[in-house]
Amino acid sequence: MAAKNHRQWLADPALKPSEWVDSRIYSDPEIFEEELEKIFKKSWIPVCHESELPNPYDFRTTSIAREPVIVCRGPDNEVRAFFNVCPHRGMIIERRPSGSFLEGQPSGNPKRMTCMFHAWQYDMRGNCVYISREKEGFQERLCKEDVGLRRLRCEVKFGGFVWVNLEDNPQTSLEDWGAAAFTCLRKTLEAEPLEVFHYHKAIVNANYKLWHDTNCEFYHDFMHYHNRVTGFNDAYFARKNEAFDHGHIVVGTFEVNYEKYEGFDSRAALSFPHLPPNQWYMIDMFPGMNFNLRGSALRCDIVTPLAPDKVMIEFRGLGLKRDTAEERQTRINHHNSIWGPFGRNLHEDLIGVQGQGTTMATGSEPRRILHGRHENQTIHDENGMRHYYQEWGRWMNRSPSKPDLPYAEPVSVAAE
Amino acid sequence: MPRSCKWGLLVDSAALVRDTIYRSTILLDRQEWNDWLAHCDDNFEYAIRAWSPEINKDVTYLALDRNGLATMVKLLPKHNTDHSPLTRHTSVYTVDVDEAARSAKAISSVVVYQTLLDGINSHIDAGESRLFLVGKYIDTFKLQDDQAKFLSREVRIENRRLDKGSHWPI
Ligand code: FES
Ligand SMILES: [Fe+2]
Repeated sequence: MAAKNHRQWLADPALKPSEWVDSRIYSDPEIFEEELEKIFKKSWIPVCHESELPNPYDFRTTSIAREPVIVCRGPDNEVRAFFNVCPHRGMIIERRPSGSFLEGQPSGNPKRMTCMFHAWQYDMRGNCVYISREKEGFQERLCKEDVGLRRLRCEVKFGGFVWVNLEDNPQTSLEDWGAAAFTCLRKTLEAEPLEVFHYHKAIVNANYKLWHDTNCEFYHDFMHYHNRVTGFNDAYFARKNEAFDHGHIVVGTFEVNYEKYEGFDSRAALSFPHLPPNQWYMIDMFPGMNFNLRGSALRCDIVTPLAPDKVMIEFRGLGLKRDTAEERQTRINHHNSIWGPFGRNLHEDLIGVQGQGTTMATGSEPRRILHGRHENQTIHDENGMRHYYQEWGRWMNRSPSKPDLPYAEPVSVAAE
Repeated sequence: MPRSCKWGLLVDSAALVRDTIYRSTILLDRQEWNDWLAHCDDNFEYAIRAWSPEINKDVTYLALDRNGLATMVKLLPKHNTDHSPLTRHTSVYTVDVDEAARSAKAISSVVVYQTLLDGINSHIDAGESRLFLVGKYIDTFKLQDDQAKFLSREVRIENRRLDKGSHWPI
């Protein structure tokens, strides 16, 4: 059909309902608020890597679904997570992105989290251990023991990432949540300690799912000159796009020909443990986290949805903790030449998602977004996105293609 | 201190360094990459770095030698990119000349503005200038004849929030 009139433009596409979504899921404020409540407050979210808090009393702050969160390492070496919120008058307890509680603060003592406002102090287990002028003000009515921090489910897993769940009783243990999707890389990521070497963030005016979609679909490699010249061959087109329970997706590996991009070298000398040279695996975790291993460097994207049409993406790069300085620099260069803020691919991906965000800003006319490619569940098949939106539909009880209707499982699940 | 060059003229090495930094700023703003590289020694090393208090580490966002840069800029037309022009405001703070070693080190403040063109919704945003980067140029030079050639440039930025980033040398 040639160009369309308004009615034709808004009509349902000639695909099954599971093969497209309504763009309102990327722009509607009501749906967004519901996602924070129903998905982000109930999911396992990787908030940082354990190497960001290597020593007892180190801390790292973050947030999930608008709730400020602090992660700290206790003297017993355990990593714990709490709301970064003072139970007194609601001050954010720690304002820095990272640091150590070994040093005292203007309002408080070493080895304590101190709220600067009125100097209440907490230990690394979240117990309140000091209330200034406690008896004078609260007499026998309220004491330290009554005002501990809100503790959160927290585990270090799948390569040393720190996972937090705001739900006290998650539907699924972290192990059951992620183990199947991580199978392809677990031996590699857990062979020895990893270490973060890269961090930067982007805030873009686009829905968080659009970023995750970009990580889930490789059809957009047409946009990346680098990926076309180092990839597009029979082995690339045979890469499997595999769906796992809980909405996760894994894109299988092949051998990337880095030398085909002028100026780039093979990553073979610094392959991660147990992997043949120059492999490229991608694990996309519901609801929007991504682990991307290219030969010598691991990248992790963590999304923090800020508004229906606004997301923060934190980008990390990781190598092996035991790297020599020279090895580390080479890994960093491998990582940044493609994935850094001044690298070849990431800039293109961010332009892409920003362009989608522009056409799907809150209030824009709803339209159909197609996820209907079938290529035998290989790299340019869009089964990854279709799988994700089934899971999304279940959590939200909304149909991704008709978000005002309750979710119904697609009839032909077997064909997926 | 001014020094006599082979034609018997007085050359102020510090002034030469400053002039090279300012001319390079104009060349970079104009995206005349190869003319900028002509001011760089064959052993030139380029890096964009920052301190990240988030992970408590120095982070390298890009590191290339002269050949790497030349290849990178040669391939730019093959890449999709945000074409919003960058305007650098450079102020040279210090120049330390080592006449005996025929070398110099300079520290400059640099602020980079981005004037939006095609990065977001050009109808709305094109023409708007935004602050893009805040940082320092830390440069070293080789002094030869009446030229100062870049031996290294570290662009040490404060920003870790870089949004769409860039394909271009800063
Ligand atoms: S608000 Fe924290 S001590 Fe008062
Ligand atoms: Fe991409």
